[in-house]
Amino acid sequence: MTDEIALDIQEVSKAFGATNALERVTLQVHRGEFLTLLGPSGSGKTTLLRMIVGFESPTAGRILLGGRDISGLSPADRSAGMVFQQYALFPHMTVADNIAYGLKLRRWPRAEQRERVGEMLDLVRLEGYEARYPRQLSGGQQQRVALARALAYDPEIILMDEPLGALDRALRIEMEQVIRRIHRDLEATVVYVTHDQQEALALSDRIAIMRDGRLQCVDTPEELYYRPASSFVASFFASSNLLPVTLVERLGPDSARVRYGQDELSCRVAGEIAGPVQLAVRRRSLRREPSPNCLVVRGTVAETLLFGDEREVILDVPDAGRVVALIAAHAAADLAVGQPVELYVPPEETVLVTDVDAGAPGTAGDADAPLQPDALAVGP
Amino acid sequence: MAPLHDRNAVTADRNRRERMRHLSDRATRLGGGTVVTIAALLLLIPAALVVALSFSNDKYFNFPPRSWGTRQYHTLFTSPQWGDAIWLSVKIAVPAVVLSTLIAVPAVFAINRSRLPLRHALQAAGVTSLIVPLSAYAVAMYGVFVQLHLLATYLGLVIANTVLAFPMILVVTTAAMSRIPVELELAAMTAGASRLRAWAGITLRLLIPAILAGAVLAFITSFDEAVFINFLGGPGQVTLPKAVFDSVRFGVDPVITAIATLLMLFTSVLMLIALRLRRTGQ
Repeated sequence: MTDEIALDIQEVSKAFGATNALERVTLQVHRGEFLTLLGPSGSGKTTLLRMIVGFESPTAGRILLGGRDISGLSPADRSAGMVFQQYALFPHMTVADNIAYGLKLRRWPRAEQRERVGEMLDLVRLEGYEARYPRQLSGGQQQRVALARALAYDPEIILMDEPLGALDRALRIEMEQVIRRIHRDLEATVVYVTHDQQEALALSDRIAIMRDGRLQCVDTPEELYYRPASSFVASFFASSNLLPVTLVERLGPDSARVRYGQDELSCRVAGEIAGPVQLAVRRRSLRREPSPNCLVVRGTVAETLLFGDEREVILDVPDAGRVVALIAAHAAADLAVGQPVELYVPPEETVLVTDVDAGAPGTAGDADAPLQPDALAVGP
Repeated sequence: MAPLHDRNAVTADRNRRERMRHLSDRATRLGGGTVVTIAALLLLIPAALVVALSFSNDKYFNFPPRSWGTRQYHTLFTSPQWGDAIWLSVKIAVPAVVLSTLIAVPAVFAINRSRLPLRHALQAAGVTSLIVPLSAYAVAMYGVFVQLHLLATYLGLVIANTVLAFPMILVVTTAAMSRIPVELELAAMTAGASRLRAWAGITLRLLIPAILAGAVLAFITSFDEAVFINFLGGPGQVTLPKAVFDSVRFGVDPVITAIATLLMLFTSVLMLIALRLRRTGQ
């Protein structure tokens, strides 16, 4: 990754009819960076990706790729490679012809085309599959061909729309490794869309979290996971519990004292604090053993589920609703449904966040992109 | 635990119900088989009779034939009247199919890949000729053709047959189009193809089997057309179906059994080709 900015998204908005799918999104992606757009469905992440690649045009704002304004260009003129969830391989072409498609359009000499196809097949570990047709390949193999097709003509940016969404669990993990290796080897600039935070964690240099058509925050996986900037980031990205607390005093830029029930404790602060606050507690931070100055969470066991090495314990906590804890299975073996229990959280593992859901709900709609992309539409 | 005699009663009851179910299953199978057999016979017997009669060597209709032979086929192939009729049918059907294809394929793209207002109404309008009673349609067309001076002209017949053949291609191609994901075109465009190139190289290429299948069905539709020709055709314009009608109007010529047999054979082969084409398209 370099400091050079590859993709520059400036105040981009998109409206589908009366609903705003995207509102004033500003985002920079560096050359060689792997950036993930993460958000629940309807958050606008796919709409943003489709505008970068040119399937939709922005209602307002500009998109620059390598310093060039591409907002009004056809997808063909943008120098982007795209990987789709459903592979979208050309069924009437062999693997080699699929990969060479972009090269043929660029009028590469035949010998160079063949050489490049060979390189790409090496890269995605599909040597010897040149003459096969897509229908003769498994889902994982098809997605690797799609990846090779998108990379072959060396585009400035690779865009991936939930590329692992159609694969089963084992293949997903294998493909994650393929994507990570290729990103590292080629130093490619990648914008990746997913709704799966595990995938985002495993792959990304930075993650942009989106919600209701707005960019919530952009940061490294570590920062987002350990120091979430808002209650939404904490609950959506780290599946953190949110406890009702009141702010007693700020102790500095990154710590504060809060009151939870009758107890007071120090906690960390990551983002801007404004208005009502909550205390974010990750599921693995809840322990059976107390520690000095720890937060005490009292509740009754509502349900327990064995996950293998860990047991998920769901507590009913007065005033806080349901609190989920992941506890080492041997330490949670004695917990039975209906039993009152105290769990302890080290204060340095708690983060004070602004409760973004306490205010007015977002105006941006759950607009899904229409079936007919701008890029293909004829007429008005 | 229930007393023993109760349990026996329960078991007996269950056995009785099982026997009943068994019997009703067998009755259903038997009844179903009978219905299917009767239906198949009703569909096949007329065709089989026609084929059998076409090998009669009699000069007039006789059933059963007094002598067997290929006399009907011989007459068919040697009398110019039938050859001319077949030739006219082909001369109308081929341009009608070509015209239909040239209209239907762009229409399928417009209906499925555009934001044209009322494009779904367009689709419905396209298949009207399949729904409107043909004779009513023909009368209306007669009125129009009189004004346009197309009545009893070759061009008029080609246009009328295009109207009939067009929905076949539209329907078959639309069905195939709905199975082609938009993402293929988007993938092609990202890789550097213009929209036209993506359509021609990917979508249209994938539609070809369906278009050919539709064209075969359209050809059959036009070739078998027997209503429009009676309303819109002139005295010299005798297509094969019209020739068949005319021959039965004034006394029955057994040659038509030979024509019918050949038509059935020809149509079956075309239908098989259409079916094969649609399969390869999937």
